[in-house]
Amino acid sequence: MPRKITMQITANEALSAEVRRITLTGDITAQPGQFVQVAVTAAHDPYLNRPFSVHDWRDGELTLLYRLVGRGTAILAARQPGESVTVVGPLGRGFPMGREHSAIIVAGGIGAAPLLFLLRRLQAAGKETAFLYGAQTAAALVLREQFQALATTYAESTDDGSRGRQGQVTELLQEVLLKQKADIYACGPEPMLRAVAKLAAAYQCRCYLSLEARLACGVGACLGCVVPARDGSYLRVCVDGPVFAAEEVFAP
Amino acid sequence: MMPDLTVTIGQLVLKNPVMPASGCFGYGEEYAAFYDLSQLGAIVVKGTTVEPRLGNAPVRIAETAAGILNAIGLQNPGVVAAKDRIRQLARYGTPVIVNVAGNSSSDYQRVIEILEDEPTVAAYEINISCPNVKQGGLAFGTDPEVVAELINKLRSATHRTLIVKLSPNVTDIVAVAQAAESAGADALSLINTLVGMAIDAEKRRPVLANLTGGLSGPAVKPVALRMVWQVTEAVQIPVIGMGGISCAEDAVEFLLAGASAVAIGTANFVNPTVCPEVIAGLSEYLKRHQLRSVQELIGLAKAAGKN
Ligand SMILES: Cc1cc2nc3c(=O)[nH]c(=O)nc-3n(C[C@H](O)[C@H](O)[C@H](O)COP(=O)(O)OP(=O)(O)OC[C@H]3O[C@@H](n4cnc5c(N)ncnc54)[C@H](O)[C@@H]3O)c2cc1C
Ligand SMILES: Cc1cc2nc3c(=O)[nH]c(=O)nc-3n(C[C@H](O)[C@H](O)[C@H](O)COP(=O)(O)O)c2cc1C
Ligand code: FES
Repeated sequence: MPRKITMQITANEALSAEVRRITLTGDITAQPGQFVQVAVTAAHDPYLNRPFSVHDWRDGELTLLYRLVGRGTAILAARQPGESVTVVGPLGRGFPMGREHSAIIVAGGIGAAPLLFLLRRLQAAGKETAFLYGAQTAAALVLREQFQALATTYAESTDDGSRGRQGQVTELLQEVLLKQKADIYACGPEPMLRAVAKLAAAYQCRCYLSLEARLACGVGACLGCVVPARDGSYLRVCVDGPVFAAEEVFAP
Repeated sequence: MMPDLTVTIGQLVLKNPVMPASGCFGYGEEYAAFYDLSQLGAIVVKGTTVEPRLGNAPVRIAETAAGILNAIGLQNPGVVAAKDRIRQLARYGTPVIVNVAGNSSSDYQRVIEILEDEPTVAAYEINISCPNVKQGGLAFGTDPEVVAELINKLRSATHRTLIVKLSPNVTDIVAVAQAAESAGADALSLINTLVGMAIDAEKRRPVLANLTGGLSGPAVKPVALRMVWQVTEAVQIPVIGMGGISCAEDAVEFLLAGASAVAIGTANFVNPTVCPEVIAGLSEYLKRHQLRSVQELIGLAKAAGKN
């Protein structure tokens, strides 16, 4: 059940020019794939809370990974350890544990944020995991060592070839799928998610995608965050998702 | 002594003057995770139409300075499915107000007909002011004669409390308010959202798929206060004031302007416990000012305004 919680900031550090990691302590629980809404300021401008996936949760510590995008994330980046921040969460439906022995996790850029917590859970459940990490440049592959150390196998790609394969992370996915059947998990830009869903359908694998939308309430009340469902209705990203089975939202 | 927070809206006696605004509280379930909804003065549910409505294409929300634009387009499951969800609210024992929307007067009548045998419904709030649907809605709310005709018809369809929700997107809100009153409305609620627009400079296109949307949140509060003041000068029936209320002090301002109760919309999105916080804050305000009843506040600023 979500609650409004006051949390203490214990760290707020830069991982790259664009990406930061904030650690919060307080009375919250979370599942991989769930998110929280952060009240970045108590003033009315910027007005809405900002949604961030749970990057990690253990020992009463909640970690978020966030990319500097605009005013809200700039304000968050200026917050100091020792200060408190109001958070609403945990929100949304997270990743299911899947059925195959093998799991492939596909991360695109900051889409890596919710996938550390998932990776650790899948490993703990005894699954064999392949972590595929794509980004524009080597510098954007934040926390690559951490993912590499945890996953059974690891591969990476960059648009400019500055690290790993030059090209799309979905090329790496296709290579892995040629060898094995697996449950697929992905978070990243929408074109990447569509491509992942296509490959999953082609190789008849279960596929779970974490989507984004402009949220207001984050709890299912305003109907602001909808995405079109395959059946012609609308689904709310904040409560029906943010994790969806690929076939709920994308045509194969 | 605990101050008395009771207020009366038509036949409804509310234990306090605070309710969520329509469309900002779904059918109540979502916020039941955060607090006991029986604390609320009333529960106002989403705009409900005869048939299910899919709503507008996304993007539906744009953040603005101290507010948001929304273009939901009255997405709702239709009155028959809504009735089941409304019935679930009976357990809270607080009056349930159903926001009724439609494209024609017979649509509104039909929604009321279907809900008349549902005892959980305490009152209807007639939404003649939704800016986000192509027909009906706003079109109904701008012409005093059309409003009078509609409310006349609905008056003969129900004995329950009939609240008419007014649009701020008019030149003379007082004329519309008076038309609703003479046609038999028991109360008025205002304001609905102000039509606005957002454009993305980088993408060089409107942010909302619907192009325009309704502005709400703290940004609209001064406009809402002014309209509540003007309307309560001109009508005898009670007014539920809303528009940008985020804290008890905001609620007090609406009461002082002449509102008998208040509704809180967009602020729920930012602070899910805003409604109980405002209720507690009202009590504290009354104690601090040594007032026994919240009713003493209603319209109190008018006297000062006339000096
Ligand atoms: C369920 C969910 C989980 C998310 N998880 C993460 C995460 O773990 N790490 C991360 O860096 N980002 C994440 N995002 C995106 C993040 O919410 C936005 O980058 C952030 O809100 C930008 O705020 P801003 O004020 O800096 O940017 P601005 O562009 O100034 O924001 C303006 C408005 O647009 C909204 N907005 C802007 N970009 C996005 C976006 N991509 N998605 C949704 N709303 C947006 C903002 O919330 C705000 O309401 C997530 C989004 C969703 C919906
Ligand atoms: C997302 C959203 C949906 C709304 N839906 C409705 C609706 O269905 N019927 C209605 O009468 N008003 C609707 N409104 C208007 C609100 O009830 C309220 O009149 C307005 O937002 C001003 O109050 P606020 O500033 O406290 O939000 C909606 C407002 C928002 C933000
Ligand atoms: S953000 Fe309000 S319903 Fe999803």
